[in-house]
Amino acid sequence: MRVGLEPFLILAAVLFSLGLYGAVSKKATVMLLMSLELMAIAININLVAFSRFVTPRTMDGLFFAVFTMVVSAAEVGLGLALVLAIYRRSRESEVDRLSQLKG
Amino acid sequence: MGALMSETINGVAFAILAVMCVGGALGMLFTKNIVHAAFWLLEVSVAAAGLFFILNADYVALVQLLVYAVAVAVLMVFSIMITLRRLEDAIRPRDFSALAAVLGVLFCSVMVYVLLAFSAPAVQKLPAVPPDIAAFGKLLFAINGWALQFEIASLILVVALVGAVWWTMEGED
Amino acid sequence: MNWLLAIPALPALAFIAMVALPRRVRNNILWLPIGAIVGATALSWAAFAQVWPGGGELTSVAWNYSWVLGVVGGRPFELGLQLDAIGAILLVTVTFVATCVQIYSLGYMHNDERIGWYYAVLSLFTSAMLGLVLADNLLLAFVTWELMGLCSYLLIGFWYQLEAPRKASQKAFLVTRVGDLGFLFALMVIYKAIGTWELTDVLSSIPTWAPGVATAAAIGLLIAAMGKSAQVPLHVWLPDAMAGPTPASALIHAATMVAAGVYLVARMMPVFLAAPAVLQATLIIGSITAIVGGLLAAVQHDVKKVLAYSTISQLGLMFMALGAASVGAALFHLVTHAFFKSLLFLGAGVIIHSAKTQDMREMGGLRKYMPITWITFLIGSLALAGVMPLSGFFSKDEILAVMLHGHNYWAFGVVIAASLITAFYMTRLYFRVFEGPEQDEHLHEGHISMTAPMVALAAVTCVIGFSSVRFAEFLGHEGEWPSLMLIAISAAVAVVGIGSGWWVYGRRSVVVNTRVYKDRLGLAYGALTQKLYFDAAYEILFIKPFIFFAGLLAVFDSRVIDGIVNGVARGWIRVSSVSWSFDGIVIDGAVNGIATLSRQAGTSLRKLQSGRLQSYQRLVLSALVVLMVCLVIYVVVKGA
Repeated sequence: MRVGLEPFLILAAVLFSLGLYGAVSKKATVMLLMSLELMAIAININLVAFSRFVTPRTMDGLFFAVFTMVVSAAEVGLGLALVLAIYRRSRESEVDRLSQLKG
Repeated sequence: MGALMSETINGVAFAILAVMCVGGALGMLFTKNIVHAAFWLLEVSVAAAGLFFILNADYVALVQLLVYAVAVAVLMVFSIMITLRRLEDAIRPRDFSALAAVLGVLFCSVMVYVLLAFSAPAVQKLPAVPPDIAAFGKLLFAINGWALQFEIASLILVVALVGAVWWTMEGED
Repeated sequence: MNWLLAIPALPALAFIAMVALPRRVRNNILWLPIGAIVGATALSWAAFAQVWPGGGELTSVAWNYSWVLGVVGGRPFELGLQLDAIGAILLVTVTFVATCVQIYSLGYMHNDERIGWYYAVLSLFTSAMLGLVLADNLLLAFVTWELMGLCSYLLIGFWYQLEAPRKASQKAFLVTRVGDLGFLFALMVIYKAIGTWELTDVLSSIPTWAPGVATAAAIGLLIAAMGKSAQVPLHVWLPDAMAGPTPASALIHAATMVAAGVYLVARMMPVFLAAPAVLQATLIIGSITAIVGGLLAAVQHDVKKVLAYSTISQLGLMFMALGAASVGAALFHLVTHAFFKSLLFLGAGVIIHSAKTQDMREMGGLRKYMPITWITFLIGSLALAGVMPLSGFFSKDEILAVMLHGHNYWAFGVVIAASLITAFYMTRLYFRVFEGPEQDEHLHEGHISMTAPMVALAAVTCVIGFSSVRFAEFLGHEGEWPSLMLIAISAAVAVVGIGSGWWVYGRRSVVVNTRVYKDRLGLAYGALTQKLYFDAAYEILFIKPFIFFAGLLAVFDSRVIDGIVNGVARGWIRVSSVSWSFDGIVIDGAVNGIATLSRQAGTSLRKLQSGRLQSYQRLVLSALVVLMVCLVIYVVVKGA
């Protein structure tokens, strides 16, 4: 069976949506970050699939994927450092308890 | 991996990997234990790497494994451990948001619809040219390639590192 | 002959001058009105000389002139004067008496602080009377008639600070007003009949009138005369009018104003002749008045009231003469009465001034202390009683002769009876005042300014009687001396009257005690002292209902009218309170509502800012998804 481009893209879309759902609904901060990572993974799948099927020679998607991976890794590190800092300060690690900016 | 190179992608391999991805994602979202969720993330990263492999993006697959499967997942587990008092605290109540679910479903359906309705004629056939690692490396560091972005990426990493250190060091003095 | 205008004009000018000046100047300038009246007197004599020897038709005019004052309704509006025999006689009489009164007032009113005003009104009154006498049309006569009424009101109420003069002046004015309605009625009737008020035209056109017109006009004129001349039942004002200053009473209520009614009927006699029924009524009214006046005079204790009722009685006699269609007799009696009645009033003034009281019962023996007054008063009383050879005798005999002439025997009897009573009460008055024991020691004669006029009047009274025949001829009648029989009858009447008065009041040997007589007369005496209940009847018939209705109207005004006004005000207050509530509820509600809405909106919207990350995420995501869906649908629809 031959799999074309669409299945990859659909898969990526589903994964992205799942990640989106998690980002919007999870209360634990760490879960939030994990959902963000999930979205990043979905993006990467998308990029690589496009690169392979549309621009195989210039491999643009691959480069893009590498760099997004770098950025999201940095983001995760930073995020977790933030979570730890907040936890230390207020013993809270749930997003919906961190509502001091409430207006 | 060159051995797996063919003109078409094996649908079975794809199906398995796809199931692993989605299932892992679902598992991550719907488990009550956040430690388990971290491991589900790990599993999804691995499945994604597999997908990269069947897409002949070896380098990206390996980088994926290194970064996500090892560094990110470990990092997650560590932070979880630090923020937990007891092991039992890992078990959180199920938090389900209907609104989020609706939004997610809507989003997904729109995306899929658009994909299916507006995409160019389906590219079924896998282009014969495989990605070339050597060329990839050359391009990565070439000045008229991706060298600039490379430098910027490293800069980002430095900044993030400094920031992270600063955040975590702040309360200790 | 245009100087005739000066006769009424001189006193009128004196009046205007006096009124225009302030009180201090006015009180010191009394030679002005006196000079005016003296001038008028002189001119009146000149006018009389113009008419002499007279003897023409009653309606013939010696002189007539009118000044056109303007045009009213297409007709020229004229002020006219005429001089004829009747007018000439009255001119002389009125001015003479007025002069005497004004000179007398110098002494009598000497210390009064409003003497200037007194003289001013007196002058105005004289001017009005003279104007009435000289008027050549009925409208002018009416105007001067009213003017006299006004002056009478002012003079009676001269001492308005006291209650009695105030009420008396109002009473006089209102009662004579009733008479004035009659005058107005007559004016309207005459105008309707012939369209003019010129006396000559009116009197000469009588034969052309429709049958009832003369009767209607005569009735109106009779009523007017009754009011002014105090005939029953409109006589009630005259006794109360004695609250005014005595010289004013002498002029107005003895000589002139009350005579105006007689003058009017005399002047308009042709009208009355055309309405014999009214003449008969005049006779009857005169008879009643003569008797009633006499009876009431006999029971009064106030000197002036006696004289007042006496005047009423004598006026009744004059009306009787008129009722018998004799202008000559009536006017002769009017003239003689003017002289001796004013003399009596002036004398009464001196008596009151000196004895400080008006009540006869507190006086006595004044003869010794005021000889001039005594003599002159005596002359006047005898004249009134009709004693030969004083003027009153002659004029009364004229009336008796007229009655006999017209075969009015019962009227003859009435005159006899009235004369009897007159003699009786005058004797009573005389003896009470001048004779008998003294009750007060501080009595003195009047000042010469008061006694001189009295002497003058007394002199005239003595003499004028002998002119009776000439008088009648002057007026165009045949005159004759009274017959012997008549002289005998009237002499007997005088003796009986005076004698009975002496019997009751004058006998020195008997202590005067009238209580016995009063008890014998009983009810009659009671009725007489109550003025025959005339005033009481008027009180019940007219005054009480009037006040009752006035009270009703007052209640109506305060309840209904004020109620309406207050109701409108209250309604307006309600409306404005509704408006206020509207403002409070609706307008403020809207304003406050907006504020509340803002606050609630803010409070609600604030919940959006939960501070929770995922809320924001969901919001943004929702927006994004919605946009995406819309875009897709749009593209699909457009593409399709």
